[in-house]
Amino acid sequence: MWLGSVFVKGYLMKLFWKTGEPYVLATGAALAIILVMSLTLVGVVMSNGLGYFWPRALVKFELKDGSAALGQVTQQEKNPISGIRRFQLKVGNRDVFGQDFRWIDEQDITTRSEPADTVLLERREHGNYFGFLQGVTAEGLNLTAATPYEKLQQARKLVAGKLAATRKIKEQMSDLNNSAESLRLKVQKLEYSGKEKNAAAITELTAVREKAMAEFSGLNEQFTATQADIGRITAQFTDAVGGSKDISLTEIVALQRPNDMSFFAKCGAYLERVRELLLDDPRESNTEGGLFPAIFGTVMMVLMMSLFSLPFGVIAAIYLREYARDGLMTRMVRIAVNNLAGVPSIVYGVFGLGFFVYGIGGSIDSLFFPERLPTPTFGTGGILWSSLTLALLTVPVVIVATEESLASIPKGIREGSLALGATKFQTLTRILLPMATPGIMTGLILSMARAAGEVAPLMIVGVVKLAPTLPFDTNFPFFHMDRKFMHLGFHIYDVGFQSPNVEAAKPMVFVTTMLLLAIVIIASSVAIYLRNRMRGKYTTSTF
Amino acid sequence: MKNNIIDKSRSNDRLAELLIRAGGIMVIVSVVWILVMISKVALPLFFPASARVAATVKLPAAITAVKVLAVGTEEGQQGVFILDDSGTFHFLKAADGSVSATIKTPVVPTGAVRAVAAEAVGKSVYNLLWDNGAITSVTVAFASVKEADSKYSLTHDVTSNENLSFAATGGIVQSFARLVEEKGAVRIDRLGGDRLRVTHQLIEKDLLGNEKRSSSSSEINEPLPGRLSAVAVDTKGHYLYAGTDNGMLLRWDISEPGQIRLVDNVTASESRQAVTSLALVLGDVSVAVGDAGGSLSTWFPVKVSGSGEDRRLTRIHNLHPNVGKVAAIIPSPRDKTLFSVDATAIHADHMTSERSLLAVKPEAPVVLAALSPKGNTLAAMGNTNKLTLWKLNIPHPEISFGTLFGKVWYEGYDRPEYAWQSSAANDDFEPKLSLVPLVFGTIKATLCAMLFAVPLALLAALYTSQFMSPKLKGRVKPVVEIMAAIPSVVIGFLAGLWLAPLIDKSVLTVFLSIVLVPLLLLVTIFFWKRIKTASLLQRATRGHEFIAMIPVVILGIYLAFLLSGLAEVNLFGGDFKQWLFSTLAVRYDQRNSIIIAIALGFAVIPIIFTIAEDAISNVPRNLTAASLALGASRWQTAWRVVLPSALPGVFSAVMIGFGRAIGETMIVLMATGNTPILSWSLFNGLRSLSANIAVEIPEAPFNSSLYRVLFLSAVLLFIFTFIINTVAEAMRQRFRKKYGRY
Repeated sequence: MWLGSVFVKGYLMKLFWKTGEPYVLATGAALAIILVMSLTLVGVVMSNGLGYFWPRALVKFELKDGSAALGQVTQQEKNPISGIRRFQLKVGNRDVFGQDFRWIDEQDITTRSEPADTVLLERREHGNYFGFLQGVTAEGLNLTAATPYEKLQQARKLVAGKLAATRKIKEQMSDLNNSAESLRLKVQKLEYSGKEKNAAAITELTAVREKAMAEFSGLNEQFTATQADIGRITAQFTDAVGGSKDISLTEIVALQRPNDMSFFAKCGAYLERVRELLLDDPRESNTEGGLFPAIFGTVMMVLMMSLFSLPFGVIAAIYLREYARDGLMTRMVRIAVNNLAGVPSIVYGVFGLGFFVYGIGGSIDSLFFPERLPTPTFGTGGILWSSLTLALLTVPVVIVATEESLASIPKGIREGSLALGATKFQTLTRILLPMATPGIMTGLILSMARAAGEVAPLMIVGVVKLAPTLPFDTNFPFFHMDRKFMHLGFHIYDVGFQSPNVEAAKPMVFVTTMLLLAIVIIASSVAIYLRNRMRGKYTTSTF
Repeated sequence: MKNNIIDKSRSNDRLAELLIRAGGIMVIVSVVWILVMISKVALPLFFPASARVAATVKLPAAITAVKVLAVGTEEGQQGVFILDDSGTFHFLKAADGSVSATIKTPVVPTGAVRAVAAEAVGKSVYNLLWDNGAITSVTVAFASVKEADSKYSLTHDVTSNENLSFAATGGIVQSFARLVEEKGAVRIDRLGGDRLRVTHQLIEKDLLGNEKRSSSSSEINEPLPGRLSAVAVDTKGHYLYAGTDNGMLLRWDISEPGQIRLVDNVTASESRQAVTSLALVLGDVSVAVGDAGGSLSTWFPVKVSGSGEDRRLTRIHNLHPNVGKVAAIIPSPRDKTLFSVDATAIHADHMTSERSLLAVKPEAPVVLAALSPKGNTLAAMGNTNKLTLWKLNIPHPEISFGTLFGKVWYEGYDRPEYAWQSSAANDDFEPKLSLVPLVFGTIKATLCAMLFAVPLALLAALYTSQFMSPKLKGRVKPVVEIMAAIPSVVIGFLAGLWLAPLIDKSVLTVFLSIVLVPLLLLVTIFFWKRIKTASLLQRATRGHEFIAMIPVVILGIYLAFLLSGLAEVNLFGGDFKQWLFSTLAVRYDQRNSIIIAIALGFAVIPIIFTIAEDAISNVPRNLTAASLALGASRWQTAWRVVLPSALPGVFSAVMIGFGRAIGETMIVLMATGNTPILSWSLFNGLRSLSANIAVEIPEAPFNSSLYRVLFLSAVLLFIFTFIINTVAEAMRQRFRKKYGRY
């Protein structure tokens, strides 16, 4: 009986192995590992990126040696041998303490508290300041509020009004600067084409320019005076160690009392930070502030790229699917398409540098802007060259998607149209292309997603860490194709790997990563959804 | 009217067809264009050097009457100058031989009547030895400027170097004078009877800024192995080199006044040929030795095995042999090129690449020769009072096939090595541009990533196409496709700044996971079989098995993490990395090949997965159905029927993944330390070809050797991926043909 059951069990086991069920499980495990990895990636980015803007409590630790530390707990870990826990505290006040983070052993702590009156200041320089408000010095401001905190808020509002006035001066200054620059270039051009011949025009333009410059310096003085005036309005703070600090109100970007905030107030602060992220300029060499120029640069580059890659890709796909006969030529085009897709992106960058930037750009410079040489205009990396390079890189994506959607249109539709007397071209434009539009859209979106995330070639042909101006503005000719631009992907690489204080910059990089990842994932989801719907529309099951 | 419309639409149709065909062909054109354009930049690396006679100047009679001590020229081949024994520089126009200016040397020492010799040092400095033994030094500034009417005008100036002058002394055969940094100056005299004397002229400043000059002189008193036949001194005045008539090469350290040491005494010529000329190669490390038999070699001090820190002069590079004796060696003032003069020709050789660059044959035997300060022009005076100017075009002398792909013995290295080091702080630094460490890094990164990705991707593809329920498949496939769209910069960032520190904290977890996850899987499988066939549970799980595997995998990794903590404390003394270093002498880099394997593997998994899954799914369903109908289990069907049929497609998937991994830039750039080393250790970083381009090209000057070498590596990447992609595509096309589906 017992023997029998063992025998049956052994037989079943053998059968189990022979039918290969365990191997099926092993293949399932492989898929499981892949999915776990993907989810981990998304999870890590989300948890690090989403939490960054949430106003975290400021914790005050009284230490055994009598000192105190104030900051946000960012990490805690346990020593595997001694079992002692320790906290990583972001203490801020970089200008005072010299470092952003500090490790504190749990056993050194006597008390832990979260005082309600701690303030968190986001500053224009030196990172955040954590401390306690003592008072406000505001000459010439009529502050009616009672508590220092309310006083500070009131003062901030008044200062904001004054700053708005200076912003107007600044705008005027930038306009003057622009016109002076364009005048300078005009004079340079005239001088190049013949100093004697154009002497009258040159003197005239120079006079105009000097007038603009004089106006500029007048405004500049006015601006500095107002700025200095506002700069005298300060608030006094003390930090956890007791050191006091006088901070000008113009230095303060944002003010919070995270320990004294309700949930909704925190939500409001969170949304405010998201707005800042999307619409404001970066601060502190990109490690703080917003991402607006990078988002703008990415979007504009991607749009310009699709202007080039979409027609090219669609035409090539039409050729492959509708016009080419199966032969050597078609096979060669297919191999070429696959190679365009498979050649490393950095090779495109190198090609872009050699051909677009130095080749075409250099020729444009020597033909149209010889007076500016050796300062390059188009002979250096710029948004035009970047989008052309990426267009070449993403053409295969458009080709493959368009071809697939053309292929999924049943033959009968083409034949019907041709039988009714339409030419091939008419069939194409009136019947096939409208039907294939979702597929073409898929290709377009996928190529945009690819371009938005591609960094390596851009590093060579025109992306910069910090661009002083956007490639599009209100100055003629509005689109400045020769300008360098900022890019979300490069922002990640640059801030995460090139900034001097990587540890402090990390949260910002996670936020950028999350943004880029979200853009790419949403775009590709939409594209894949469109494609699958297109696929399902015309396919008829064969088995 | 109707006909009009038909005609119009017909011509439209024809036009459109033409345009569309052109568009299709444009794809091929652009691929070829990319290759052509990047090759065009890379190719000049291998262009041969050339020289052409720019001018022949017949010296005016007034100059031929005097003794010529030195000649010189400038970059544009428009002028030459001649220094005669009265210390006068005659600047001549190359075009017609007319005298452009005559400038007398500014300082003539008291008591001197004529100059005996002039020694050219570095760029445009001439040390004049006068007949009474005094030495003065002058700098010549000489250039040609192109004027508006495409004629050239010459600018010239002769200035005195006040700090380098020595008083008169007697019995001198040959003299060298050098400025010594922060000390003063030194002169080395070769006296009659093969004696050598070193005189230091020290300038010391006391606290008040008063200068105190003192002079100390000493003679070398070691017996020489033979008669002196050539002497050279480096530009800093630190070492004195001498060659003898029986082929010995000696080196003295003369940097400390009064402490002259013989540091080397080696046989320079095995056949005991007399050393006929010595010269220091730019950078003062190597000395070039030419002998009476015509052989030309360069030497520098190398650590000798078994003697600790001692360095001895060693023969490093053998250059193209001359015909007859090497009469003179002129080192290029710009790079490590050497010009050697023999009876019939002037040869140019690059020391490091050992390339024989060119040889020019003057009409008459050469008496004096010189290079312009940037090395673009060679001037040689024959014994017929004619001066010939050559315009030299030596595009990239330091690059050869050997330096790019072979081991090269660079200055300062103890053995020939593959090295990549493109820049350094000092000026006379020689870039080391071996592509071998980069190719190695690329292969290492790719192999690590493929080892990680291929099994996972292929097994998952098999599962998805064969065993997964169709409804789930419709959800999982898009997820993996979206995974493929994750920008590499995101993966690289997480790998470099999140995964690397995480693994750094607990390296063992990785290794234990490799063991524990499969082990746990076996245990699960063992329990899995307990579920009765055709039971409700079995039916429910069929096609969803992988969901049950997810917690198993997570649990396995977590257990590995727990165990690694224990193991580290109990087996490795609390620090595995320290243990690695002290016990196995393995250095652990935070950004190492394990990180690369995971990150790069993660990037190529979706590519391999998608293509392989397509290939497996495209195997006609009737094959599967037939196999199942014959009683084969689903695994047997998948493994023995479907997979063999789909093999070409699967193979092409792996190839395409391989191609991606080779060229991936950002991940490798961010997840490794970018150290160009040759080490198979999993715990070390690497530098790949693609990351190297990204790192170096923003700093590479336009059209420099580095710039072209980077383009060359792009060409290599292109060709490599081209082959892989073409083979993969060819296989895929055959596979499609076989099953008649697209």
